[in-house]
Amino acid sequence: MAVLHAWRAARVTPLGELHAPPRMTAVLIRLIVQVILVASLWHGLYAHTGTTAGLAEGQAVTYAVLAVLASRLRELDQYAGRDTVLQHMHFGTIVYWYLRPLPPQRYHALRALGEQLYGFAWALGGYLVCLAAGVVDAPRSPAVAGVFALSLLLGQWVLYHVMLTLDQLCFWTVRNNAAMLILIFAQNLLSGVYAPLWFFPDWFITLSGFLPFQATLSVPLSIYIGRIPLSDAGGQLAIQAFWGVALTLFTRFLWRRAARRVISQGG
Amino acid sequence: MNGMRIAWRITRLNFRAQLEYRTEFLLMIAIGAIWQVSVIVFATVLLTRFTGMGGWDSSEVLLIPATRMLAHGLFVLVLGRVHGAGRQIQEGRIDIYLTRPMPVHRQLQLAFFPTNAIGDLTVAVGLMVGALSRSRLDWTPGRISYLIAALIGGMLLEAALFTAVACAALRFPAADYWGRWLEELLGTFGSYPLNVLPRAVGGLLTYGLPLAFVAYFPAAVLTGHGHDTGVPYWLAAASPLLGVVAYLGSRLLWRWSLRHYAGVNG
Repeated sequence: MAVLHAWRAARVTPLGELHAPPRMTAVLIRLIVQVILVASLWHGLYAHTGTTAGLAEGQAVTYAVLAVLASRLRELDQYAGRDTVLQHMHFGTIVYWYLRPLPPQRYHALRALGEQLYGFAWALGGYLVCLAAGVVDAPRSPAVAGVFALSLLLGQWVLYHVMLTLDQLCFWTVRNNAAMLILIFAQNLLSGVYAPLWFFPDWFITLSGFLPFQATLSVPLSIYIGRIPLSDAGGQLAIQAFWGVALTLFTRFLWRRAARRVISQGG
Repeated sequence: MNGMRIAWRITRLNFRAQLEYRTEFLLMIAIGAIWQVSVIVFATVLLTRFTGMGGWDSSEVLLIPATRMLAHGLFVLVLGRVHGAGRQIQEGRIDIYLTRPMPVHRQLQLAFFPTNAIGDLTVAVGLMVGALSRSRLDWTPGRISYLIAALIGGMLLEAALFTAVACAALRFPAADYWGRWLEELLGTFGSYPLNVLPRAVGGLLTYGLPLAFVAYFPAAVLTGHGHDTGVPYWLAAASPLLGVVAYLGSRLLWRWSLRHYAGVNG
């Protein structure tokens, strides 16, 4: 029975997307154009440059394209579905999360799991097409592919809890659009979405090493392209696991505190 | 004149409303600044690692993001509420606007005060001052006038693009998704010499999505790269005018789209 509930909650977003063909078409077009633009930009930048910041042209292009594909893992139009925590807080409907037989934290996790699996299907499809077209390089060895897969999984675990922390922030602040935007910006910048962290100054790389964001994307992609050698991968995986555990415990604590703050219809 | 007075009073009230939540107000200013700083960080990183981008030196390249960011800041302040109009359409607010004795477009623009524009403009002005101080160009009255025209043209062109998305959102509320992508494209590819891209891709960002006209072409004309952009010189030079024409066209499209707006219940 619990599995049935889980399945029903997890498939909400994928079903919503599958019933909106225009949105899926938009996602497809955006993904294709974004991959072409990003690959073209990095090829263009390397036109008169050799290896820079330890990255050759193929590595930089592969990193940038994989970052675009990875963005599909958590970029669904939840707002259109009116099921973001921010919207529920705004409209006072968050109280329903606490009236269901399913605990809110489990509902949130299951929805995210469904989204991430759906997004993964998009990313995997895009990756296979890019690989076949020669846009991205293949991993250098099966061992690299295996470690990358494990690192990607850990990265998604960390990412879920980073995003969950943002959602939980809504319980403490009445209007927090700006705080959310700032944290999303920090996540994108410090995880290497805008540009690989290797291009940034040393102090920036050191700073990002103390934060959880680089564990979400920069580490797995750097392992894939070989910028982090397999000999150093163990330490990086341990750091990812540390952030996963720490954020899991922290968000669990916040869920308990948040439950005491839920208000409906003014109190 | 009366309309202007009402618009000013509503703007003042909206500003006071934003001040109600002081922390959120300050954070909104911060987000505008931070978002712009991200463009500077990315541009600085690229300029440091890849010198001589597309045959432009770094002081010339800097003029592109400075122009784009300042035009964007003005857009956010003056006409920016059209971005995100899909949200107001989804919430049915357009139906309320239709019943009031004020043009719907004006009500849309007066819906709230864009606090983040303060941060946007602060950083953009700072970057423009930096770009002009590093520039080796002779800033004659003609060049200064062209730069001002380019900023206004860039603002109007960005407004035209988002107005077109808002027109689509009147029919398909999910079109708001395209607005977010458009913002991302403008931020990512609107700040660099597009001649680093392959000709076909540069053509797409010129004729498909006229992103090159916002800052790249005006900066090319100002810095003497106007003949190397891949389009006729007169077309690159006419960028500010294109912004005006595009915005007027988008307003006509808006008027037409609003006449065909059916709302949720048909």
